Amino acid sequence: MSERQKFNVIGKSVKRSDMLEKVTGAARYAGDLTLPGMLHGKLKRCEIAHANIKRIDTSKALALAGVKAVLTHKDVPHVLHYGSPHPRSASVTKDQYILDTKVRYWGEAVAAVAATTEDIADEAIRLIEVEYEALPAAITLDDAMAAGAPVIHDNGLEGNRVVPDMLFKRGDVEKGFAEADIIIEGNYAVGRPQPAYMEPNVCVAQWDGSDKLTLWTSTQSAFMVRGTLAEVLGLPLGKVRVLCDHMGGGFGAKQDLFQHEFLCALLSRQTRRPVRMEYSRKECFLGGRSRHPGTIWLKQGFKRDGTITARAAKVVFDSGAYGSHAPGVTAVGASALTSLFRCENVHLEGKCVYTNTPIAGAFRGYGVVQTYYALDIQIDEAAEKLGMDPAELKLKTAVREGDIAPSGHAIVGHGLEDCIREGMKAVGWKERPVGCGSAAYRTVSPADGAVRADALPHPTSKKVRGWGIGCEMHGSSAYPGIKEQGNALVNLNEDGSATLLTGAAGLGTGAHTALCQIVAEELGLEFEAVSVVHGDTDIVPWDIGAFASHTTYMVGTAAKMAAAEIKQKLLARAADQLEVSAGDLEVEGGFIGVRGVPGRGISVRDCVAPKLGIPAAHLFGSGTYMPTKSYSFGAHFVEVEVDTGTGQIDVLQVVPVHEIGKVIHPIAAAGQIEGGIQQGIGHTLTENHEIDPKTGRSLNANFVDYKMPLSMDMPDIKTIILETAPDPGGPWGAKGVGEDPIIAIGPAIANAIYDATGVRFRHYPITPEQVLEGLARRRHV
Amino acid sequence: MRPFDLLQPKTTDEAIALLARHGSRACLLAGGTDLLVEIKEGIRAPDVLIDAKHLPGMRDLVVSSSEGLRFGALVTARELETSPAVKDFYHGLWQALRELGSIQVRNRATVAGNVCRASPSADTLPPLIADGAVVAIMGPAGERHVTLEDFFTGAGKTVLNGDEIVTGFSVPKPLPGTGKCYVKHGRRKAMELATVGVAVTMTMTGDTCSSIRIALGAVAPTPIRARKAEAVLAGKKPDIELIAQCGAIAATETSPISNIRGSADYRRRMVEELVQRAITAAMEAAR
Repeated sequence: MSERQKFNVIGKSVKRSDMLEKVTGAARYAGDLTLPGMLHGKLKRCEIAHANIKRIDTSKALALAGVKAVLTHKDVPHVLHYGSPHPRSASVTKDQYILDTKVRYWGEAVAAVAATTEDIADEAIRLIEVEYEALPAAITLDDAMAAGAPVIHDNGLEGNRVVPDMLFKRGDVEKGFAEADIIIEGNYAVGRPQPAYMEPNVCVAQWDGSDKLTLWTSTQSAFMVRGTLAEVLGLPLGKVRVLCDHMGGGFGAKQDLFQHEFLCALLSRQTRRPVRMEYSRKECFLGGRSRHPGTIWLKQGFKRDGTITARAAKVVFDSGAYGSHAPGVTAVGASALTSLFRCENVHLEGKCVYTNTPIAGAFRGYGVVQTYYALDIQIDEAAEKLGMDPAELKLKTAVREGDIAPSGHAIVGHGLEDCIREGMKAVGWKERPVGCGSAAYRTVSPADGAVRADALPHPTSKKVRGWGIGCEMHGSSAYPGIKEQGNALVNLNEDGSATLLTGAAGLGTGAHTALCQIVAEELGLEFEAVSVVHGDTDIVPWDIGAFASHTTYMVGTAAKMAAAEIKQKLLARAADQLEVSAGDLEVEGGFIGVRGVPGRGISVRDCVAPKLGIPAAHLFGSGTYMPTKSYSFGAHFVEVEVDTGTGQIDVLQVVPVHEIGKVIHPIAAAGQIEGGIQQGIGHTLTENHEIDPKTGRSLNANFVDYKMPLSMDMPDIKTIILETAPDPGGPWGAKGVGEDPIIAIGPAIANAIYDATGVRFRHYPITPEQVLEGLARRRHV
Repeated sequence: MRPFDLLQPKTTDEAIALLARHGSRACLLAGGTDLLVEIKEGIRAPDVLIDAKHLPGMRDLVVSSSEGLRFGALVTARELETSPAVKDFYHGLWQALRELGSIQVRNRATVAGNVCRASPSADTLPPLIADGAVVAIMGPAGERHVTLEDFFTGAGKTVLNGDEIVTGFSVPKPLPGTGKCYVKHGRRKAMELATVGVAVTMTMTGDTCSSIRIALGAVAPTPIRARKAEAVLAGKKPDIELIAQCGAIAATETSPISNIRGSADYRRRMVEELVQRAITAAMEAAR
C-alpha cells in the first residue's frame, strides 16, 4: 500500500444506509415480528445447580386454558450437538442436548411451553412440577478440579476438563529463566462479565405446508443456526430457512445456539402455529454466555535492559456447565501469550474446566482479554522493578515486523510500536506527573523523576490520580482455529446501481455500510448506488458468521473481488460501445471515462441500461475469499482518579491508539473503539455476574445489580487511529477493529490505579472495598 | 403483564373507601415508576390499582424561605427538582432528587411514592428526615400527621393503615445560617441505588453548631437518624477532630447488611467517611 491511492468512498464516514430506519424505529428486529395465530413460548428453568431429573409432571400446565404445548426431554430429539456455530471445528465442544435428563447449572431449561399469551405461558411454567435428585455440585474452579469432584460430563477426561490440556512452547524456557536478571511471578484472576447486549435473545419460528421451518432469530451466524437446527432436528438443509435483519448486539455470544431456538422450532412444529420466544434480562444472564472467568499464573524473566528472557504461564478457564467455545477460547487466550511483548522462550499451558455455573462462551476479546490483562500488568510490574518507564519497556519489547504471531504468521509492520509512540506523544507521557499526587502511598520512588508539586491534589482532598498504559493485539479472522471463508455476490442493475448479497450479519456495527463502501469504491459508483441484501439463508451466499473481527477484513475482500469481476465485464462492454480498449477505461462516480480524454465516456447507467429492442446487461460478480489472518494493534493511555476515602475509581480520560490498516468508515471504527472502552471499563471496575459459591444461584441477574457504566460514567475519549501497518489480506489493507478495544483498557486502568495509589491489583473487577483494603495494607507496610 | 382493574376515584373520601373495600388486593398508584415495574416482574400481583392521580388538591407546591416547603402527594420529583427555591432552601433534598432514577423517571415519580415504598435506600428520605419533614395522612377518621422520621417501621413498611393515603408533606422553613447536604454512595454516577446515603442539615450560629440533624439511608431496615453523632457536634465548634469523631460515632449507630452492593463493614466505613464530608459541605453552605 505504499503508493498513495485516491479514494472516493472508503475512508469517508458516509451516512449509514440503515440510519433512518434505526432512528425512526422502523428497523425490524426479530422480536418485532408478529404473525397471525402466533403463540408465545417460555422456558421452565431449574433452581438447582446439578441434579438428575426424576420426574416432570406437566399435567397441570397442559390443563391450563390457553396452553397449546408443553415439551420436556421426553418429547424432543436426544441428539448431542455443539451448541455453537462452525460445527466440527476445533473451537467448540459437542456436549449439549436440547433438553437433557440432567441439569448442570442453576437456570438450565428443563421444559418449554407454548400458550396464547405470555402471561398464560408464564403461569403454565409455574404449574410444571419437577422432581430432582440433587447431585453434589462443583461451583468454583477449585471445587471442579479437586480430587473426587463431582463429574459434570462423562467425557473420559479427568478433573472435569472440557478438553485435554494445551501446551504452547517455543525456545527453552529453563535456559531463559537462567539467563534472567530478575524474575517476576504472579497469580491473576479474572471475573465473569456478561455481554449484556441490548436486544435479548429472541426468535420466532414458523413451519409452512411443505414442512419447512422458518426461524427469525437474533444471531451472528444464521447459516450455523440453519446447519445445526437441520442436523439436530433431522431436516434437510433446504427445509430450514433462517432470517435475521437488524440486531441489537451480540458481542460474540450470539454465535451460540441457545435452548430457546430449538424449542421454539419444536413448539411451532407441534402446534402448527408460529411461536415467539424472547429471553427476559434474567434469562440472558442465566441462559446466555459470559466471558470465561479463570486464573492465570504468569512468570517472566527479564534482563536488566528489559529484554524478556522467558515466559511461563498456566491459564485455567472456567467453562461453566457446557463447553461452548472452551477449546477455542483456551487456545486463543493461552497462545496469545506467545506474543505482544517479544519473548523467545515460552512455555504456556492452557486448561479449561467444567463447573456447575452458567455457560461461558465466545465474547469480544475471546480469551485474550484475560491473558493480556495478566501479561500487560506484569510488564508494568517489571518496569518498576527494572527502574524503567512502563511505556518505554512496552515499546522496547513490543512485537514488530517479522515476529511470529500466535497464529504462526510473521507480523506485518510495526503497529504496536507505532501505537505506543503515538500515544506517548499525544498524552505527553514523558511530561506526565509521575505518581500523580500519590507519593504518600508509594514506597518505591518513581524511576524517572520526582512527584511534581503542581500535580498534588488539594490538601484536604482524598483524591489521587495516576496514568497507565495497556497494550493489545488481536487477529482478524479465527485462523488457524478455523479455516474461514467469506463470500459475496454483487449484481449490477440496469440503472447502474449495484446490489450486494452477503451472509454477514449486521450486529449493529455498521458492517453492511462498510461492505457497500467497498463495493462502491471498487466499482467506481457513488456509495448511495449500492444497496445490500442480507440475513436470509435462502437468498444470500453462505457465511460462517460475524465474529473474530473479520467481517470488513474477510467479507470485505470477497465483496471487493465480486465488484472487481463486474468492473471487468462492465469495462469490456463499455469498450465495445466506445470503440476503445478496455485498458484505457476507468470508472469513477458512476461514469466510465477514457483515460486522458476528459469528457469522453459513458455513464455506467447508459452502458448497461436497456435500449430500444435490446435488454439490459446482466452483469454480476462473485467473490470467495479464504483468509489466513492479520493482526491489529492498540495501546490505551488512561488517567484515573481514586478516592482514597471511599475507594471509588473514576476513569477520567482515555487516549486509545489503534493501528487497524486502511480505515473504511472512520466514525464506525471510532464507535467500535468507544464501545469497547465502555465495556472494558465495566469489566474492570463494576461488572461481574456473581454466582453463589455454595448453591450456584445467580446473585445479580439484572441491570440493577449488574452494573454497566452509563453515559455519565464515561471518560473523555480522544481516539487516534493509525493506518501504518496495512495487511495485504484485507481490502486496501483494512484490518479488524471489533475486538481490539476491549482488550487494552483493562490493564491500562489497573496500571493507572497502581500509579495513583501504589496498590497493585491482579484481578478484575476491582471494587472500591478492595481499594480501601489495599490502601490499608499499604499504610501498614 | 398480569391484568388488574384500574379504579380512578375523584375524591379522597372515595379513594379511602375503595382502599378499605379492596384491602390487600389493591395498590395505590401515583407515578407508577416502581409499582408497574414490580407488577410486570411479578413481584406484586394486585387485582386492583387505585389511581390517585385524579384526587384534588394534591398537586400544590409552595416553597419559600419564610413559609417553608409544602407539597402534595402528586407533585413529581422533577417539579421539586426544577424549583429554584427548593434548590436554594432545601439543597439536600434537591441533591437527592437529582440522584433519583433518570429524568424520564423523575418526570413521573412522586416523592410520596418514594416515601410510601419505604425502601431503606430511597434517596429522598434522608434529606427530608434531616429537614424534619412531616407527613399528612388522610384516613376514614380524618387527617393525622406523623414526622417522616417516625413514618417507617421496617423495610417496605410504614405506619400507614390499609385505608390511609398520604396526601402531602410539610417541611419547616430553614433557620438562618443553615446548610444542607446529601451525599450518595453508589458504583455509578447516575441510575444507581444508594449503597449509603447521608443527609445533613446543620445550623451555624457564628462558629457554633446550634443544631444538626444527620439522617442515613441504606444502612438499616429504615432510614435512621444518627442521634449520638448529632450530639457530638450540637452546641460545639466543629473542627476536623470533632467531625471525624462524629463520623465514627454515626457508623456505630447503623445496622447495615452485607449484600451484592456492599459489605456491612464497607457500608459502616462509608457512613464514617461520608458523614464527615456531608458535615463539611453543609458547614460551608451554612456560612
